[in-house]
Amino acid sequence: MNPSRSMIFGLVAKALFFVLHILAVYLLLRGHNLPGGGFIGGLVSAIAFIMLSLALGWREMEQVIRVDAARVAFVGLFLTGLTALGPMVVGRPPLEQFMWHLELPWFGEWHVGTTLAFDAGVFLVVVGVSVKMIVVLGRSSEGMHPFGPREDGHYAAAVEEAIDELGRDPLAARKEGDDAG
Amino acid sequence: MTPSLAILLAVFLPLVAALPVAWVGRRLGRKTAWVAIALPLVSFLSLLSLALQAQAGGPVPDVRWAWIPTLGLDLAFLPDGLGLFFGLIVSGMGVLIFFYAGHYLDDHYEHHGRFYAYLTLFMAAMLGTVLSDNLLLLFVFWELTGIASFLLIGFLHGEDGSRRGARMALLVTAGTGLAALAGIVLLREIGGTLSLRELMVTPGILEHPLAGVAMVLMLLGAFGKSAQFPFHIWLPNAMAAPTPVSAYLHSATMVKLGVFLTARLFPIFQEHPWWPPLVGTIAFTTLLLGAVLALLACELKAILAFSTVSQLGFLIGYYGLGGAGGVEHDYLHILNHVFYKGSLFMLAGIVIHATHLKDIRELGGLWRRMPVVGTVMAVACASMAGLPGTTGFLSKELMLKEIFDSPLVHGGLGWWAIVSVVLTSLVKVAFSFRLFVGIFLGAEGPRVKEHFHAPTWPILVPPLLLAGAALIFGVAPGWLSAGLQRFVVAGLHVETLSELHVWHGINREFLTSVALVAAGTILVVLGTRARWRWARTPKWLRWDLLFERGVDGLGQLAKGLTKAVGSDTPQAWLRITATFAVLMVGGYLAVRLPASPLTEMLGERLSRQHWDGLRVVVALLMALSALGVIVLRTWPAQLISLSVFGFLNTLYFVLYHAPDLALTQILVDTVTLILVVVLLARFPRSAQEGEERDRRWSWKQAGVTGVAVGFGSMMTLLGLLMTARPHPEPIGPWFTRATVPLAEGMNAVNTILVDFRGVDTMGEITVLVIAMLGCLGLLFRRRRSPEERAAGAMGPPGLGTQLEPEEREAR
Repeated sequence: MNPSRSMIFGLVAKALFFVLHILAVYLLLRGHNLPGGGFIGGLVSAIAFIMLSLALGWREMEQVIRVDAARVAFVGLFLTGLTALGPMVVGRPPLEQFMWHLELPWFGEWHVGTTLAFDAGVFLVVVGVSVKMIVVLGRSSEGMHPFGPREDGHYAAAVEEAIDELGRDPLAARKEGDDAG
Repeated sequence: MTPSLAILLAVFLPLVAALPVAWVGRRLGRKTAWVAIALPLVSFLSLLSLALQAQAGGPVPDVRWAWIPTLGLDLAFLPDGLGLFFGLIVSGMGVLIFFYAGHYLDDHYEHHGRFYAYLTLFMAAMLGTVLSDNLLLLFVFWELTGIASFLLIGFLHGEDGSRRGARMALLVTAGTGLAALAGIVLLREIGGTLSLRELMVTPGILEHPLAGVAMVLMLLGAFGKSAQFPFHIWLPNAMAAPTPVSAYLHSATMVKLGVFLTARLFPIFQEHPWWPPLVGTIAFTTLLLGAVLALLACELKAILAFSTVSQLGFLIGYYGLGGAGGVEHDYLHILNHVFYKGSLFMLAGIVIHATHLKDIRELGGLWRRMPVVGTVMAVACASMAGLPGTTGFLSKELMLKEIFDSPLVHGGLGWWAIVSVVLTSLVKVAFSFRLFVGIFLGAEGPRVKEHFHAPTWPILVPPLLLAGAALIFGVAPGWLSAGLQRFVVAGLHVETLSELHVWHGINREFLTSVALVAAGTILVVLGTRARWRWARTPKWLRWDLLFERGVDGLGQLAKGLTKAVGSDTPQAWLRITATFAVLMVGGYLAVRLPASPLTEMLGERLSRQHWDGLRVVVALLMALSALGVIVLRTWPAQLISLSVFGFLNTLYFVLYHAPDLALTQILVDTVTLILVVVLLARFPRSAQEGEERDRRWSWKQAGVTGVAVGFGSMMTLLGLLMTARPHPEPIGPWFTRATVPLAEGMNAVNTILVDFRGVDTMGEITVLVIAMLGCLGLLFRRRRSPEERAAGAMGPPGLGTQLEPEEREAR
């Protein structure tokens, strides 16, 4: 760990990380009946992640959590898409939500619905997008390469010219790059 | 097999299976083909069973599932003769192409799974297009073929030519596809239905004044897809794809979609006075232009591509010449082209694979090394040239016969058709000879010796089958005409097709043919003497370069425009737009408000206002913190002031009993604050400490302040006016009433997000993800200093900050 980081902040952030995530999931679960829901829960979770990465450092954070945040966002989008298409399988209009009421021994009446899957998708998208953007910008502000080595190929083709290079002789620019590389 | 099941298996099974194919490909590598080939096989067999059940001219089975009824968009299919004919070609060629690709794509290629997934998707989209009954559904599949072909053409995306070819194909075909969509919408307005089945029997479509416009728009789509003049430029550039793709897209399928659409439209629009001149002129011009360009080209695949362009011109033009009773031998011409062009593309692929040479001038003398390939190629070339004993000969004889009969019917168009068909036939003989002679005869080039490695024999099976079909049906055409009779469609075709014969006796068509073959041979001999030195495409015919320059220029134009209007500084624009808004809206309010009844309502509104002490205090504090943002000079202080504003806003929401809004506001504020703090760390300390503040007031400052105050007051006034007259039926109470019975949730805010307006939420999160991808892409494409660029193609670490020493070493 970078010695310049505060140890107290690190410990607090680690402890709070779990507390905040319990809160986030709680907010997600109660969303349909009380203030909360996927968007809010997702933001709480994102804050927990960002706090932890501020405490640990951007690079260490990447070694702790190896999932690309952008993938989390894609999974979320896919999940909401599934809840949109799901009802069509049984011949209902898309995005129709279903609720079931269960009587459970200790919890009492329990509402379970496809709305939860939809909300969870929103949750994941919000977490993924905000964590990804802040981590990328944060890395860059610490003088690191904004993208990890594996991500390089994912978001832009290496062969593309920067916008500012349009209008110049593209061959010259590329040659220059080749020479340097 | 019932028709519904056949359609499900033929169209939707490959559509769904494309994804698993991609996944399977990771494990299987080049063996993926042997798994994926099951899909075209299933499609082919199910369509075949449908075709065998159908009675010629009998009722067409109605296959229909509701999809989006409010748009009139059903999953409705029309498996009539035309659809089944094209469907069988697409899936049948699919089987051959998958087989061929399984042998062609060796381990040099990567992403086999992706390749076969694209190919499967493409086939499914093609089948969907040709079998659709609903025009909107047809359009959906139509564009899907464009997207799939974009992915296929750009498959080797590391190569510049591939990317450019794919981009050009997508821009041309998708752009013209949009024209077709406009035509579909118009046609629906005119005919009142989207169903082709119903449109064909709707009377009075042609009397509508907009019928011609709809026709032209839809034909634009067909011309774009089928590479008709002046859209012919994309097809040769699409040759950057791997050869199986070229063979599939250009011999059999995608480029024939335009032919298909023209045939579908024929019964509807054929009587329109614009139909023959429009279709005929464009198509026959393409016919001639493509043939000439094919003769001038030197690359194997380019020759074939241009000759495809030419043949497509004929296939479409054929419908332009059709009489009132319908056309007769269109299927024969299409099938003939599939036979010879499909095999030629595959053979060209084999030759390129074996020698690593593409230029016909460097090839030669391969007969001794590959006699079997040479024999198959000879048959295919003979069919292309229209020599007797092949389907090409049958096709050409019938073509000449109909063209010679037509000038009396069609006047000027008929003469133009004669001239272009005769000239094209001549040139076709020439480049067919050239192709064969250039590859197989003559001296063996030095580079051939160097690179040659023999192909495996199974790869030869698909072209052998196709060329064999051209030969067998060319000798025994009776089988062919019996088979084609089954696919006759009322309205498009004459009722019974005439028998096909190999020999019609010595008549003017035969004599013309002989003369053409002789002239073509002379042309080849002359060309060989001159070593094809004149065979170079002249600059003024390279319209694809013009197109490329135009597309590239668009970026430069945008950049120049941005520079010219100086929008790099948003503050300047803010000043202008705010001033404009204050003058226009505020001025209107100032002039009109005093005299209007709204003033009374406004007074009433203010007197109704419940002045809660806590709310007033919070509002005042908010105003104070907003003032802080203006007055404070260092960035961190301004940022804190802005956050205070946001948190007070949260408090305000709490006072109005809106916990959801308050929660969202406070969290969004927190995340934004972190984001901005992180971004601020990028800037040098001097910038964070703020600009030198000018203590004295200048005119500029006074003006900005005036505009800001004016804008704020105007928005306040508008807000008050908006709430002055409450809506008679506010929608809020409805949601609170409906949330429990309809959505079974107690929190109306969340049920609106999830249940009532779920589509909006879906759209929003999609936008969120797209915005993220855009940001990530932009981070790659921002300005780089020379030192940064020197750090590598991916750009430097950090955004303009210095490298850490150990990181510099690591790179």
